[in-house]
Amino acid sequence: MDEIRSESQQVFRDVFGDDEIVLRDDMTADDVDGWDSTAHINLIVALEKHFKVKFAMAEISRMKDEDQNVGGLLRLIAKKLGKAG
Amino acid sequence: MSVSSVEFIFLLLVCGAIFFHLPGRGLKLLGLSAANAFALALLLPNWQSAVALAVFLLSGYVVARVLQRFPSMLLLSGYLLALVAAFLVLKKYDVVQWALPMSLVKHPIGIIGLSYMLFRQIHFIVDAMQEQIEGGTLCAYLNYQLNLFGILSGPIQRFQDFHEFWQNPQPLIADRHELLKAILRINWGVLKLAAIGGVCFYVYELSLSTLDQINRGFLVQFSLPRRLFYFAVMFYSFPAYLYFNFSGYCDIVIGGARLFGIRMPENFDQPYLARNMIDYWNRFHRTLSHWIRDYLFMPLYKGAVERTPTLAEPLSIVFMFVALFLAGVWHGSTLNWVVFGALNGIGVGAVKLWELAILRARGRQGHKAYLKSPKIRLAAIVVNLNFACLTYLFFPVDMAKTLRAINAVITGA
Repeated sequence: MDEIRSESQQVFRDVFGDDEIVLRDDMTADDVDGWDSTAHINLIVALEKHFKVKFAMAEISRMKDEDQNVGGLLRLIAKKLGKAG
Repeated sequence: MSVSSVEFIFLLLVCGAIFFHLPGRGLKLLGLSAANAFALALLLPNWQSAVALAVFLLSGYVVARVLQRFPSMLLLSGYLLALVAAFLVLKKYDVVQWALPMSLVKHPIGIIGLSYMLFRQIHFIVDAMQEQIEGGTLCAYLNYQLNLFGILSGPIQRFQDFHEFWQNPQPLIADRHELLKAILRINWGVLKLAAIGGVCFYVYELSLSTLDQINRGFLVQFSLPRRLFYFAVMFYSFPAYLYFNFSGYCDIVIGGARLFGIRMPENFDQPYLARNMIDYWNRFHRTLSHWIRDYLFMPLYKGAVERTPTLAEPLSIVFMFVALFLAGVWHGSTLNWVVFGALNGIGVGAVKLWELAILRARGRQGHKAYLKSPKIRLAAIVVNLNFACLTYLFFPVDMAKTLRAINAVITGA
């Protein structure tokens, strides 16, 4: 999971152009400047390319829900990579 | 029966009180199914509508099941095209009347809530194909589509959320305080819908009719300030009516659904305090906006990012316009909705352009400072409020009357 977090953090930094981003599980879109609908898709596409996974539309939209956070996104990536738990 | 009528509220409270006293899951679901069937029976005007609705819904379920086993973009695209075409014919859109023979357009079918069923059906089919829906019997699907708490005008609930309730109906109300909160919300909804919304609509009609009479020459010697006053009243009272009416309805159905253990999604979040049109559509009729974002904007933009990354940014503005334009046109079948959709499309497109311009001129830090400035925020809210009200000039179907009112202000006759 630490590996996924550290690689995801680099993807976040590249997409949002901010080298100071440090991923926390409780982080939401409100905590990252410029995380709107277009940036969300840019991030998803970058994560899909990096981890060679595919997100369903329902998963992508769920990530935008108010009760969702970065922790949930990292767990979803781990699940897709078969590294859950 | 109106959702704000005494009969409806009485039935809601009585059924809500009984629901969790019904023994076993089966009896609870049977009770809810019966309530949904009763509500549907009140809404269907004739047998032809019942048959058309059955074909509309059952075809969606069957196609979703087929796509779940044999995913195929070709089948999905073909079915969605046929579904939207059927929707346009059933709703008698102007464009269909121009393109098809009158014998096909003049039908007796009228299905209230069909627009929302279309949204739910597309969501169900796409999610089923992408393996995002587990289980879901035909009975669960039909009750999801015909759920009396969302059938009229939403909110648009996700199937997964409804299915969670369907599999294990549990009370959402834990104590007396929460029960009182739910009942208070229903009553507040009735007050907003029937009283406050009603007054706003009366004021709107009065001001519109006064301007119309000025335009027709029945009322003379109205000075420009007086004409502007009536216009301002008309300009702001209709959006106020729309908000109180719709959010009041949502309060009733969301509060009512809670009595049955169903968690309907929130649909409003102080929309007239939004700082721009993108923010506005995240606050007004949110479940519709989120559906448009998830099933129109995101797939289009994601495709652009994957295939033509360099063009993705300018294309995002085009896609935003298209998404909001279609959302506007979806509201109704007449020309005023085209204007309403185009204005909203221009509104969100302009917001994105403005954001890109600030980012280019001042960088990310400058944009952050711009967003944090209280003065800019206040100015943005005022500008956006007026732009949103401007779009609502084209919400009422009788666009000619609105244009006559505008003419009365400008010319005085």
